[in-house]
Amino acid sequence: MRSVRVDRPAPYPPRISAATRPFWDALGDERLTTTRCLDCGDTTFPPKPICPNCFSTQLSWQSLSGRGTLYSYSRVWAGPEVFGEELPYTVCVVDLDDGLRLGSRLLDGVEPEMGKRVTLVFVHYTDATLFFFESEAAMKNES
Amino acid sequence: MRERVAVIGIGATPVGRYKDLLDHELLLEAFAQAFKDAGVRKEDIGGLVFSHPRTYTKQRYFATFMAGYLRMQSSATVLEVVGDGMTGGFAFDKAVDEILLGKCNVCVALGVSMETQVPSAEHMNLTMRAVGDVDFQAPFGFTPISWYAMDAVRYMHEHGATREQLASVAVKNRRHASLNPIAQYKDELTLEEVLNARPIVEPLGLLEVPPRSDGAVAVVLSDLETAEKLDRPYAVVRGRGFFHEGAHQISDKPNSMIRLEAAREASRLAYEDAGISAKDIDLAELYAPCTIVEVLASEALGLCPEGQGALWAKQGETALGGSIPLSTSGGLLSRGHPPLVTPLYNVVEVVQQLRGEAGERQVGGAEFALTSAELGNYNAALVHVFGKAG
Ligand SMILES: [Zn+2]
Repeated sequence: MRSVRVDRPAPYPPRISAATRPFWDALGDERLTTTRCLDCGDTTFPPKPICPNCFSTQLSWQSLSGRGTLYSYSRVWAGPEVFGEELPYTVCVVDLDDGLRLGSRLLDGVEPEMGKRVTLVFVHYTDATLFFFESEAAMKNES
Repeated sequence: MRERVAVIGIGATPVGRYKDLLDHELLLEAFAQAFKDAGVRKEDIGGLVFSHPRTYTKQRYFATFMAGYLRMQSSATVLEVVGDGMTGGFAFDKAVDEILLGKCNVCVALGVSMETQVPSAEHMNLTMRAVGDVDFQAPFGFTPISWYAMDAVRYMHEHGATREQLASVAVKNRRHASLNPIAQYKDELTLEEVLNARPIVEPLGLLEVPPRSDGAVAVVLSDLETAEKLDRPYAVVRGRGFFHEGAHQISDKPNSMIRLEAAREASRLAYEDAGISAKDIDLAELYAPCTIVEVLASEALGLCPEGQGALWAKQGETALGGSIPLSTSGGLLSRGHPPLVTPLYNVVEVVQQLRGEAGERQVGGAEFALTSAELGNYNAALVHVFGKAG
């Protein structure tokens, strides 16, 4: 999986709490993780201090593959003021091979295609790391 | 407990941009209209349920301020309700509750939504924190309508719907708005104009997403006995349904983002409550901020066949004169969209239709009408079925 460095702070960085610090620390180390319930085995995204399936608070951290398929996307031309410098950009919904869905951003480059394979890209801003995706077709073009 | 509630009075300001009126002054216009329309005495009014105003409305404790402004005593309720895009719908629903519970005979649901003092990009700094997880989604730059845009991409992918079909919803709604005196935008549009509008959230352009709008509405409700005594035309709330799917924007367990499960379940409950089926509905005012949302909701509510909502729009089935007229007011795209009171504007339209007072927009012989309200990506839906009096 690729990583990209961006020489400015994230437009709207996440808050980091005691409960979510393991996630953001792992992401900074280029691993995507989430919580898994020790009682029922259910996984959830984003990670949470409670299992939304059985309300157990006995949880462990688990690594995710970072690979999946593109469920949908949209190119945003009018965005919040704080994202002004990044416009236009493409938001997306990705279904991970691990059976979890998440919202993210598609790296620019290749025209997105519905249902096609996508892979995580770690985007290191100066103050936070975020999880973007790019199409696997785009990676082949580069190599 | 009482079984049914009547809508006996409606008042709504034209939707638009108001610069010279304060928020509560705009609301008073709507309130005075509704009071006069209902024909009740001041002392008949038992409760006031307000939609909570935007954070831009400087007057806080808005409900109690208004009770003072109107010198209104109440032993039922004076409060503000909050529910994002459903706010106005919840205000209406809570007023229904007050009457069903016998806490009062007449209750007013009302509110004002002032949006245009703040530029759109600045406003989105606020709304992006509503439509997604602040820490795990907002950092990517989702906007409220970017989720609907992704619905559009998915819908076209799954059902082979075309851009022209989706865009035809905007053309149709503008034609309806041209017949509505309170609509914000009344000049008719061509399909080409909609398709060539500058992109906002692809594939949706400027004319397929909601405008910025201010507006105020008041709706007077009563028990049926009071309504009968007034000897004026009124509408009856025949059924209600609510459902939250337990997801915010997207479910972390992959499912269909475009089936709008909440709208399916809420409408099933509302039809059951009313003792009718979707086929009995003569017109519907949908909470549909974008063209695609009207299409998806029309299918989820059982008003159009699965996967054919966009085709039906293009074929004119959802226009005035078609088999199921949708958004006869012009809808959110053209009547305008002051979000916190949009569901109350929808009530105003169906009541006008059921009283036979919709002028050139009148759906002939309308017996049953439906309104929907939603929040997020239709993660929750609130559906009301209305019928004619008697
Ligand atoms: Zn569990």
